[in-house]
Formats: sequence, C-alpha cells, structure tokens
Amino acid sequence: MAEQGRYLYAVCRGLDVDELDGLLGLGDGLVEGVESDGLVGLVSSVDLDEFGEEGLRCNLERLDWLEMAARGHDAVVQAAAAVAPTAPMRLATIFRDDDGVRRRLGEQHDRIAAVLDRVEGHEEWSVKVLTRDHEEPVPEEPPSSGAEYLRRRQEEQAAQQTERRDADEVAEQVHRSLVGLAAASRRLPPQDPRLTGHSGTMVHNAAYLVPRDLSDAFSARLGDLTGDYREVLIDARGPWPPYSFAMLEEQ
Amino acid sequence: MTATQLSARAEGRSGSRETQPIALVDLLDRLLGTGVVLSGDVLISLAGVDLVEIRLRALIRTVREEEQR
Repeated sequence: MAEQGRYLYAVCRGLDVDELDGLLGLGDGLVEGVESDGLVGLVSSVDLDEFGEEGLRCNLERLDWLEMAARGHDAVVQAAAAVAPTAPMRLATIFRDDDGVRRRLGEQHDRIAAVLDRVEGHEEWSVKVLTRDHEEPVPEEPPSSGAEYLRRRQEEQAAQQTERRDADEVAEQVHRSLVGLAAASRRLPPQDPRLTGHSGTMVHNAAYLVPRDLSDAFSARLGDLTGDYREVLIDARGPWPPYSFAMLEEQ
Repeated sequence: MTATQLSARAEGRSGSRETQPIALVDLLDRLLGTGVVLSGDVLISLAGVDLVEIRLRALIRTVREEEQR
C-alpha cells in the first residue's frame, strides 16, 4: 500500500463530524475531524503516490484529474459549510499526519478564527457582467478604396470603444448596487472568453460575501439589475461557500 | 453548450435558493487563487501556484478549442 498523507479540506468551528454522516472525500477516504482548541480540521487519507509532490506535479497538468480533485474538495467544503462556519483551504494542502494538522491549527489559531468570524453566517455570490454577443456583421460591399476601408475600420473601432465604456459604467452601477447588501466584496480577474464559453467581453468579475439573511434581498436585487440593464449580460451564481473570503490576513 | 451559456439563457432566474453547481473555471479560480494557505511543516501546499495556474489555463484553453472544432 502506498504511503498515506492527510488532505485538509477546510477548518470549521463547532462542527460535530458525525453531522457529516460518513462523508467520503477524495479517493473515497472517510472525512474525519482533527480538533484543536475549538477548531476542527476536516481531513481524509490520500495516497502520496497520487497527492505527493511528484504525483501532484503530473496530475495537476491533467484536466480530468484536476476536475476530480476540485469537485471532491468542493463537495466536502459544501457539506461542511451547510452545517458550520467553514474556512475552505486552498486545493491540495496535505500533511504527513494528524499531529501536523493539529500543530498548524494551534499555531494559526487566531488568524483562522478571524477568518471564521468574517465568514460565519455569510455566503458567497459570483457576479459577472459581460458585453452582449455581437451579431454577425451584415456582409458589405467590399471597400471601394483604401480610404473607404480605413473609414469603416475607424467607425467599427469607435463603436466598440463606446460599447466597452458603456458596459464599464453599467458594471460600476451594478457593483455599487450589490455592494450595499454585501459585507465584503472582492474583484477577480476577468476570465478569458475561451474559458467561459461567452463571446462577450467580461467587464466585471466579482465575489460578494452576503449575510445569509440578506440572501433573498440580494437575489431580488440581481433580478432588478438584470431587468434594468438589458444591454449587458449579468451572470450571477450562488450561494456558494465563502471561498473568496477565506484568506488569512497578513501577519 | 457549456453550463455558463446555459446560465446566461436562464438569466433573470438567478433568484432561486438552490445552490447552483460551480463551473469548473470559477471553482479553479477560487481553489487555486484563494482559500486558506498554510505553509510551514505542511507536506504539500500550493502556495506558489502561479506557474501551475498558468499551465492549467493553457490546458483548459486547449480543451475548449478542441471542443469547438
């Protein structure tokens, strides 16, 4: 049997691991709790052939493996976040044994507790604003001259710039409206159209940390904004565990 | 059709209380870019993930392009 390590999914507070009801993690390892001073690290055993440094280096390059690992990690985080304040770990945080986990939770106790204080009772929403897909241009007569060609190109570029500016303004208004209902927000880099499947330009990609009791109000406001700003595409998803807000503050 | 395109079609119905599945690209942005990072006596930790992430993106891009062919 390959050497085993302990994969840490998330750190929770006040979680009774029995509530997870025999939840299985990556590679069908049983998810167990490692306690340290009120914090509970959720761990399961993984093969170091697969999750050790060598194995990871190869596996992270394989999209099918990466998706399996990300989905497996997310499943445990989602299950925990449904029942207790949960700070998700970054993908692939692996310890040699439970003593290592316990030691690290002890050393980082106050910083992890601060993250849990911030996210407790909150959920994450993702909101993206994209420009609308362009219609296929109507085939035109070929330009009659170089000057005609240049004129058309300049008109096209001016139209695109105006559209982009308008979309940026809409995104700012959407953001201002949403941030009023959120405890925190974080702007994320726009995603490449080839990754998202949208052909429009992503002018806004942000995560909002929303108090659970404002979740319905947040949804309703998203509905209003979608109706008010039909010139852009507002792609909203959630609620999710508070992934984007589980960063330890710098010491 | 991707999940993202499906959700775009379903715009305006985002008010449901059901948790929606996270698109892989969004999940990877979060699992590789945010989350608690513990280093020190940790055996493995993707603290310096930039290189990995860039290669990942290249990989996903390749897959998308192949799908579109």
